[in-house]
Amino acid sequence: MTTVEKQLLAAPRNYRYILMVTVIVLILFGWSLSAVNVQGMNQGGMKIAGNILRGIFHPDLDLLLAVSKQSVLYLLVQTAAIAFLGTLVGAVLSVPLAFLAASNVVPKPVSWLTRLLLIFIRTIPALVYGLMFIRVTGPGPFAGVLTIGLTSIGMLAKLYVDAIEELDTRVLESMTSIGCTTFEKIRYGIIPQLMSVFLSVTIYRFDMNMREASILGLVGAGGIGAPLTFAMNGYKWNQVGSILIGLVVLILIIELMSNRIRAKLVRG
Amino acid sequence: MYDKIFPPKQVVLPSGKTVLEKRTRLPLILIILIAATLLSVNLTGFSLKVLFTRLSQFFVIIGQMIPPKWEYFPHLWDALLATLQMSLLGSIVGALLALPFAVLSSSNIVRNPVVTSVFKTILSLIRTVPTLVSAIIAKFIFGLGPTAGVAAILLFTLSYVGKLLYEQIENVDMGPYEAMESIGMTRVQAFRYAIFPQVLPGYLSTSLFCFEGNVRYAAILGYVGAGGIGLLINENIGWRDYSSVGMIILALVVTVYLIETVSEHFRKKLI
Amino acid sequence: MIEFKNVDKTYANGTSALKNINLTIEQGEFVAVIGLSGAGKSTLIRCINRMHDITGGQLNVDGVDVSKLRGSQIRRFRRRIGMIFQSFNLVTRTTVIKNVLVSFVPDLPWWRKWTGVFTKEQKIKALEALDKVGILDKAFVRVDQLSGGQQQRVALARTLAQNPDIILADEPIASLDPVTSKMVMDDFKRINKEMNISVIMNIHHVEVALEYADRVIGIRKGEVVFDGPSRQVTKEVLDEIYGGKLEDMNPSSEEHTAHV
Repeated sequence: MTTVEKQLLAAPRNYRYILMVTVIVLILFGWSLSAVNVQGMNQGGMKIAGNILRGIFHPDLDLLLAVSKQSVLYLLVQTAAIAFLGTLVGAVLSVPLAFLAASNVVPKPVSWLTRLLLIFIRTIPALVYGLMFIRVTGPGPFAGVLTIGLTSIGMLAKLYVDAIEELDTRVLESMTSIGCTTFEKIRYGIIPQLMSVFLSVTIYRFDMNMREASILGLVGAGGIGAPLTFAMNGYKWNQVGSILIGLVVLILIIELMSNRIRAKLVRG
Repeated sequence: MYDKIFPPKQVVLPSGKTVLEKRTRLPLILIILIAATLLSVNLTGFSLKVLFTRLSQFFVIIGQMIPPKWEYFPHLWDALLATLQMSLLGSIVGALLALPFAVLSSSNIVRNPVVTSVFKTILSLIRTVPTLVSAIIAKFIFGLGPTAGVAAILLFTLSYVGKLLYEQIENVDMGPYEAMESIGMTRVQAFRYAIFPQVLPGYLSTSLFCFEGNVRYAAILGYVGAGGIGLLINENIGWRDYSSVGMIILALVVTVYLIETVSEHFRKKLI
Repeated sequence: MIEFKNVDKTYANGTSALKNINLTIEQGEFVAVIGLSGAGKSTLIRCINRMHDITGGQLNVDGVDVSKLRGSQIRRFRRRIGMIFQSFNLVTRTTVIKNVLVSFVPDLPWWRKWTGVFTKEQKIKALEALDKVGILDKAFVRVDQLSGGQQQRVALARTLAQNPDIILADEPIASLDPVTSKMVMDDFKRINKEMNISVIMNIHHVEVALEYADRVIGIRKGEVVFDGPSRQVTKEVLDEIYGGKLEDMNPSSEEHTAHV
């Protein structure tokens, strides 16, 4: 055989593998289809959809722009406050957990245990936390802050750990040659590297927490969620429209700002 | 602008050269952060005192969740499967739909800036609406049950994967695409052979990652009546049957863990 | 002055890195250490500032017996020796001047150490060091936005800010292109001549070594096989140091079979 023919024979047999995976995915798809019955969407449903759309385009402007304590504006700001404080709490709790989970900082069993703990924290649905915290602090935005704090830990700790495990330790070598103590090496060699990543990740999480905070009202944990649900259950689509618009605008603004800040952190 | 209020500092070296050093923004940032924190504490009624005195209540509930009620397991099996089906369907369809949306949003394939901005805005808007809100709205349209959940997950996946996908497409190497257009392929064909292979690994990886998160979301969606395990959680918390809740959570954790491990395995192969 | 007296270094697993090294290096010399990879050049240099410990013999630096130093004495000893690395070893996410200021950190009082606020004199000294290597205009730019050559000069400025008596350089130009390498080597030469700082450099570019160094030390398998002025380095000397491997480095271009 010539060399060319030998190469042809040795070509990797990827096709079978990809085919198998595709078949499995198709089977899963078909199985999951059985859970759904599109019949559920009846005439009533279409009518409601139309009502919602109409409500969104004719929002209740009085509700939107009033400035009283119950108004949409106040609640939106409160939602932002819940998200902000919650992210802060989550960040403070995640930093030590992240270090405990990093395999290049602590011995393997410790990091494995911490990761297990993190998986538990991450999987418990936010609403469960909400209900639990309401028992601690009573209903209201405080419970919302704590809930968001805990749910943030999942993502924050995971991304913090990634940053820690990607640390460039070569700087530490040059700091040793200058004659620095361990503390100095951490403060001037490690922390500057981690700072910008931590900040960027935390700001991203704040972004997402804005959305989570808005639904916490569902369980009485403060913010815009409660009036939103009341309006929806009461079929008051104009109010729903105004609340949704306020919410979407707020989230978009925060997203814009956070993207700008994060881009600056990366570029420097 | 900051530099106009606080002009850069001039540092003169012994050798006679001068250097301009911009004043650090740090004090301003700190002030803003502290003000925001104080304001938030005020608005939310955050109180360390309450936290410390009542924190034990939190652990009381956890104490009731352990040990979980093992007998409850067969009960939740159906709900668990329903949750999985819901998230799988929503994720797959959402990811598939994300493709055309993303392509129509990419400025390097569709040369019409109006079209691209329209689709980008649509994706942004969908992403901004919280999942639960879309679930509630879906519940009204489709009625109680998993269909509403599928709709919510579909929308979320569509916007999440769609955004990341069009960002990738816009950052792709256009060389092969131009080469293919130059030999007479239509834009769709050139996309299929030049761009699609480049973004495919990232696309699959993002879709898998989204699916992971969707399983956890699906668990919550049941709370608003969208079917699945969330409904069970809601019931049991209402009855204060915490050990059942503990069992549900345990089952959920195991499931999510398995899915994440498998997903991570595949995602590593894709990169 | 650096004195190696019968210095040995053996690793814990038994491999011998340095054997019976006897060297005396006076203040202000520019020494190039050449040899194959793994011959012991890096180990030799790192013994001088006690990044590696010697296992036999005596090593004196300016009258101080290096192996007898303990704890904070080692750190204070290292203050006077600067080190340059092949991979620059800078904190890439911060600015150039912050990297240079790091060399002042061990001397700060505790409250300055925590907050990171440096004195005006220290900032001026840092800027002067940057001026000496010619990148004063990049003082407030982030390091990861600079080219390789510029980054190495930042590392050089950081070392200069220490005010060292000795500079150790471990393959400083290995990651740089020929033009930037020349600029960096010119900087080294200038610092060596103008400030009378000893420069001991690991380098595997033989031509560059011969062009800039006054003295060449050849290491082969952990032993000194040549020690003398650079003009005395001939092809025979190089063959001895590199064990004839210099020609072997050309790949064979005749392939009879393609590897499948």
